[in-house]
Parts: sequence; C-alpha cells; structure tokens
Amino acid sequence: MKDVGVTDSQGLPRRGPADDAGADADVAGLLGQVARGDQLAFEEVYDRMAGPVLGMVRGVLRDLPQSEEVMQEVLLELWRTASRFDASKGSALSWVLTLAHRRAVDRVRSEQKSAERELRAASARIDYDDVTETVEATMDRERVRRCLRSLTDLQRESVTLAYYGSYTYSEVAGLLGVAVGTVKTRMRDGLIRLRDCLGVE
Amino acid sequence: MRRGQADLHALAGAYALDAVPEADRARFERHLARCEACVQEIRGLREATARLGASAAVRPRAELKEQALRAIARTRQLPPLSRDAPPGQRGWRARPAGGRALSRLRQRPWLPWLATALAAGFLAIAVAMGVLVAGARHRLDLDQVRGHAIAAVLNASDVTMLTAPVRTGGTATVLESRHEHSLVFTASGLRVLPPSRNYELWLMGPAGTRPAGMLPRPRAGMIGPMVVSGLAAGDRIGMTVEPAGGAPRPASDAVLILGLGS
Repeated sequence: MKDVGVTDSQGLPRRGPADDAGADADVAGLLGQVARGDQLAFEEVYDRMAGPVLGMVRGVLRDLPQSEEVMQEVLLELWRTASRFDASKGSALSWVLTLAHRRAVDRVRSEQKSAERELRAASARIDYDDVTETVEATMDRERVRRCLRSLTDLQRESVTLAYYGSYTYSEVAGLLGVAVGTVKTRMRDGLIRLRDCLGVE
Repeated sequence: MRRGQADLHALAGAYALDAVPEADRARFERHLARCEACVQEIRGLREATARLGASAAVRPRAELKEQALRAIARTRQLPPLSRDAPPGQRGWRARPAGGRALSRLRQRPWLPWLATALAAGFLAIAVAMGVLVAGARHRLDLDQVRGHAIAAVLNASDVTMLTAPVRTGGTATVLESRHEHSLVFTASGLRVLPPSRNYELWLMGPAGTRPAGMLPRPRAGMIGPMVVSGLAAGDRIGMTVEPAGGAPRPASDAVLILGLGS
C-alpha cells in the first residue's frame, strides 16, 4: 500500500474527511444562493464542481470536446435546478456527480454503436489508470485509489466498468465472463466496501 | 424476503452506478418507492460513486467558465418544489435584465404566471406519461410521444419563452429549446376562422420555409400545446391563414412572425 503523506504529489495540502465535509457544506450553501439567482455564488460552484464533473465525464466519454460540452450542460443544469437540491438527501457532490454521470452515460448509450462499445471494452480497464493520472489534486484521489485497491478484483472491475465504461450490469457480466447475479452482487458489495473505506454515509 | 425482492434488492449497486438498463430501472424504481431502506442504501452508495468520479478531477479550460456565465445569464431557473411562494415570483425572477424574452415578460406581468401554470400542467402530463410508459411500454401512443416531446422542451436547459401578438387578434406563446431543436407553441384569443380555413405554422430561415403543421381547433379558447421540431439555426416561426387542409407554401401574408432565440 502506498505511503500516505500530508501533501499530494503536486504539493497541495491534503484534505481530510472533515475538510471534505466542510467543503461540501459550503457547496450546499452556495447552491441555496444559486437557487435565488445569485450569479456570484454560481461562479463559486463552477470553480469547485467543474473540475470533478469534467474529470468524471471524460473518464466516461474519453473525448475531451464532448466531455467539455457535457460539463457545460451539467453546470447549466445546476443553475437551472439549484432549487431542487435537498441537503437532507445527500451531499452536494453526490447530487452534482449523479446528475453528471447520468448525462454522460445517457450520451454514451444513445450515441455509441454496439461495435464501438465492444472496442471500448478492451480499453475500459486500461484507461481508468490513465484517467486518474491526470487529476487535479484538489480531491482525495489517493484515498479513493487506496480504497479501490481494497476491493476484490471482481468487485473493482465490476464497479469501474459500470461507472467509467457505462456498461449495464449484464454487459459487465458478459465482459468479465461471470454470471449476471454475481456481477449485481459484486457491484453492491464493492460499493459498500468503497463507501465504508471512504468513510462516507 | 421473497426471492423476487432479494433479486431486486441486489440491484442497488448497479442502480447507483447507472448500470441498470431502462426496462429493469422502472421496475426497480417502483420497488424503491416502497423501500425506504433501499433509498437510504443507494444514497450512501451514491456518495461512494461521487467520490470515485470526483477523484478523476481535471482542470477545465478557463474560457469555458466565461461561456457558462454567459449561458446562465440567458437561462431561467426552476422554482423550488415547495408551494410557499406564489408561482411566477420565483421561477422567472432570476432572468437578468437585458434579455429580449425578459422585456417581453415585463410588458405582460401575467405571462410568467401563465407560463408557470402551463409548465406545471405539461409537467403533470409528462409525469403521468412517464408512469404510463413505465407501466406499459408497448402501449406508447401518439399522445404519449407528444407528451414526451413537450416534456423534453420544458426540461431542456436552454428553454426560452417568447410571446407576441397575432396581427389579426390573439397572442402566441412559444417555449423554445435550441438544444432539443424543438418548440412548444400555444395561442389564445385567435380570431375564429370559417371551417374552410385554418392557421398554419411555418419555419422560415436559411434552410428555407417549411410547413410546421396546422393548428388544432381551439379548446376553451386555447390552442395547443403543439410541438414543432426540426428547428434549424436562424429559423423564425410564422403563421398564416390557409385552406383548412394546409398548403405546401404560404399563400397569404403572415399574421405572426416570431424571431426565435439566438
């Protein structure tokens, strides 16, 4: 397991869980202001969320211009629907990235021809590491990587193929050559382990 | 727990990963409606997937932010779901000054209310459609398709409302989404035409003038909502009075020409 220092590879201070929670509470508060039409608050939300959204979407779509387009759509959607954010139902980060992930996946599923999807099957597993190499060092990347490594291979592959490969569970089962029921279970217990390792609720 | 339920419950992980195909999703979401424990579990799993996604963060190009700020300045916001404020004072308020649509809204203070009411009605239809579709996909009929088309425009991130008087009387209102290449047309108070004549819509622009459909007969003074799709850049929408069966190209002067958004 990699050594976990107090700074990350780019020398920026590492955020602990408490900082993350604080930063998220900030975004939640900002979303409330955005809902009231506050454009300055939107700028703040943009500064904090555009990077995570773009990174995640690019992990799914691979193509940067398309990913930028989806990121912009998602941020505009935040502006439009900020009043619908409900902090009692989860964190701001989760709300934003759930929205963004659905959009990215919808785009892949509606545009990707089946032949291309097959091709991506081969690259999905390789590219996940490439994606994480290029991160901007403001999020708890190292912690996530460490927690991902704590999953079994089947759990990790099921989770990342679904999340970044935008495959359905039955497609993942086909790619990995295991039973559909097994993949469903591994996705669930893999995410539970990831959740517990990250200390999120 | 019955076997079927255990199977469903196992889908929580796949659901949090957006890895459930549409057909199963509807079934699982019906299960969620009755299973608060599942909802809680999925919230937790979504926190985990969000962290997974955020860990891939990259720095976006600086000019994208300027673009986004320009876009929000043109985009109205949805009102909150609560009902503690009168409609019309919340959802539409946020549009910044200077927009063409806003100046039109200002001249007709009742329009935001109307639009909100219309939008609420359409959304109710769309939600009902969604439930129907989830329940019986094979029974998808034209009305449902139309409901989806309306919902797509209303839910588009770039929806804009325009309104204009019709030269011969009445008012036309258009909710337009460039993104969806569609608009929803409604009108009220139009002059009543003899049975042999009807109003026809046209899309007019660099792509030529194309018929966009005959208006349905008014019900309770209101026409529409009617979906016009296939918008091209630079299109305007026009309306003429034509023979009841429609005409391949406009044969009379327009009673309405409405420039569409950017």
